[in-house]
Amino acid sequence: MKGMVFTSFLEMVENKFSLDVADQIIEASNLPSGGSYTSVGTYPHNEMIQLVVQLAERTGIPVADLVRTFGEYLFTQLIAMYPQFIQEHQTAFSILRKVDNYIHVEVLKLYPDAELPTFEYETSEPGTLIMIYRSSRPFADLAEGLILGCIEHYGENIEVKREPMDEGTAARFVLTERK
Amino acid sequence: MQEIEVLRRQIEREKKARKEAEQIAEQKTREIYYVNQELLQLNDQLEELVKERTAELSLARDEAIEANRIKSQFLANMSHELRTPLNAIIGYSEMLKEEAEDEGVEGFVDDLGKIHHAGKHLLSLINDILDLSKIEAGKMDLYLESCDINTTIQDVLTTVSPLVESNGNRLEFVILQGVMRTDITKLRQILFNLLSNAGKFTKQGTVSLTVSLEAYHGKPGVSFCIQDTGIGMTPEQMDHLFQAFKQADSSTTRKYGGTGLGLAISQRLCQMMGGHIAVESVYEQGTTFTVWLPSSGSNPDCESVLPEEGSQSYLDEGHNTILVIDDDPAMLQLMQRYLSKEGYAVIVARNGQEGIRLAKERRPSVISLDVLMPGMDGWTVLTTLKSDPELAGIPIIMISMTDDRNLGYALGASDFLIKPVNRDKIISVLDKHIMERQSDSILVIEDDLATSQMMTRMLVKEGYRVIRAGDGRIALECVAQSIPQFILLDLMMPNMDGFEFVTELRKRDEWRSIPVVVLTAKDITAEDRMRLNGYVENIVQKGHWRREDLLEEIRNLLIGARTNR
Repeated sequence: MKGMVFTSFLEMVENKFSLDVADQIIEASNLPSGGSYTSVGTYPHNEMIQLVVQLAERTGIPVADLVRTFGEYLFTQLIAMYPQFIQEHQTAFSILRKVDNYIHVEVLKLYPDAELPTFEYETSEPGTLIMIYRSSRPFADLAEGLILGCIEHYGENIEVKREPMDEGTAARFVLTERK
Repeated sequence: MQEIEVLRRQIEREKKARKEAEQIAEQKTREIYYVNQELLQLNDQLEELVKERTAELSLARDEAIEANRIKSQFLANMSHELRTPLNAIIGYSEMLKEEAEDEGVEGFVDDLGKIHHAGKHLLSLINDILDLSKIEAGKMDLYLESCDINTTIQDVLTTVSPLVESNGNRLEFVILQGVMRTDITKLRQILFNLLSNAGKFTKQGTVSLTVSLEAYHGKPGVSFCIQDTGIGMTPEQMDHLFQAFKQADSSTTRKYGGTGLGLAISQRLCQMMGGHIAVESVYEQGTTFTVWLPSSGSNPDCESVLPEEGSQSYLDEGHNTILVIDDDPAMLQLMQRYLSKEGYAVIVARNGQEGIRLAKERRPSVISLDVLMPGMDGWTVLTTLKSDPELAGIPIIMISMTDDRNLGYALGASDFLIKPVNRDKIISVLDKHIMERQSDSILVIEDDLATSQMMTRMLVKEGYRVIRAGDGRIALECVAQSIPQFILLDLMMPNMDGFEFVTELRKRDEWRSIPVVVLTAKDITAEDRMRLNGYVENIVQKGHWRREDLLEEIRNLLIGARTNR
């Protein structure tokens, strides 16, 4: 998992909770990296799971909610670092449709070792976008948070329904524009 | 205390993260450096490779150019080597055949005719192949000159008509009076090709040639339309019509003969001259070839077709006058065509009375007289003329359908010919009776003994005196001793070649007016032409000339030289 996800996560914990909480979850997680992350590095995704589990224990908030909230936060961080993606797209559907075949392609140019999830799209119905998430890791919640963060950024009125799929690492998101 | 501890840990983590980031940055920089090095090396290798390939290609190109030059040189030499002996074979067989005819050795006439025919066929094959090689090597030069359309076409028709008519075909033509600027030899070659093809593929039909003025894309030009009522072609056959070595059908070669190169050559020649050939054909009904050539050569806008003025104006006193008495208009026309080309002034009379009147008025050098005529017949005319003391001295040649030569000679005729009479025959008989020619001497300069002897025999037979010289130096000595009326010159000779010889010859005023015709087996290049230009009257390619043409040219030049003196 890219270091940028870790640094953003800890930043969020520091801002939304406290420096203390951030320190506690790091210390409690017994991480191989020792909890020191750089955005250009790559780290085992289990460290993220451990940090999230520790945070849930300490705050009493369910893991899924925490991860989804982090996804929304991560989106604001991403567009701050790569504003060109936002400038090129006028709507949430437009940028979401580009995640798989454009944004991830660009990510791989910078980080050839990045292991990225895939998205399949269905656009058969007007006003509806279906995204099917597949990953080697169970981070569908993070994907949901990112989608929500994107919709919020564009200020659009879009309903997101998540349908679980057979595999634990896959999910189907049905995005519908509300009239 | 607790807070300080938290901050310290955080700083520790940040420090570690920074170091890691720095390491990653270094690692990435190193990677980029090595990749860059690899790229540079690859680039160098590529440049090296391009250089190598370029050198290889340039070498291959040089080799190809050299090989092509050697090939062209080889072809030029071969053409010389092949044409020289073939020329002797053709010339001797023709002469022997005539001798055999004169002496009545019928058994030999056929065989000699076959040798002659086979020789000419072989020559035409060699010429076709050489022509095509030359065109493809870009070595075919154009020699543009002003060309009298009517004369050129008549020439071609005279040559081709026996071929066309041998299949029982009728040859029709509509000719245009005018002048165009073109390469006459190549125009002749194209027309001869197309007309002989038409004749070959048509039986008991009609072959027609129509010449007309026609502009193409605004360029003035002349269109030659050759139409036949022969076997025609299918669209598939027409597809590969102009390809070399392909006749419409390979069985065609066996049935009709030929190299299959004629059309390919004709088309390329047309293109070289800035024109084109089009073809239309209906299977089993006939074919039409249309050749279009610009009237101003390949260089546009320099000259257009000019109507000819007074084509008969050369009937002047310097020429020998022949009176032709015949009731058949076709015969009169034919004789007029044959004889005027020989430089004779021709007077025609359609019946006996008119003939006698014209004989008294014009005092011709020779009279040709038909026997069977309505009203006053040939015998009566002959008797009347011979009984007039003023006219009795004029030689009279009787031309008849029946062999009454004894009666003819008894009544005072000088010669007796039986119809049909061919051109050569009538001309040689006429020549025999025109004395003036006897004093003409011709200098033949030729190193090839066989050719030299053949030319000598041919010219002696025509009544000329011949002096022979084996090279330019000997020839100059001959000229110094006695000035010949005419020089026939080979180009490639030891000691002093033809080029040097003409240069020397033209240095002396009294020698400058001697007409020179070059007869060579060498392939004449544009440069050669430049060197000879203005010095010689004509350049004749060995193997490309016909005996009659050459003799005719010699006669004309001698007449011209006499008139100038």
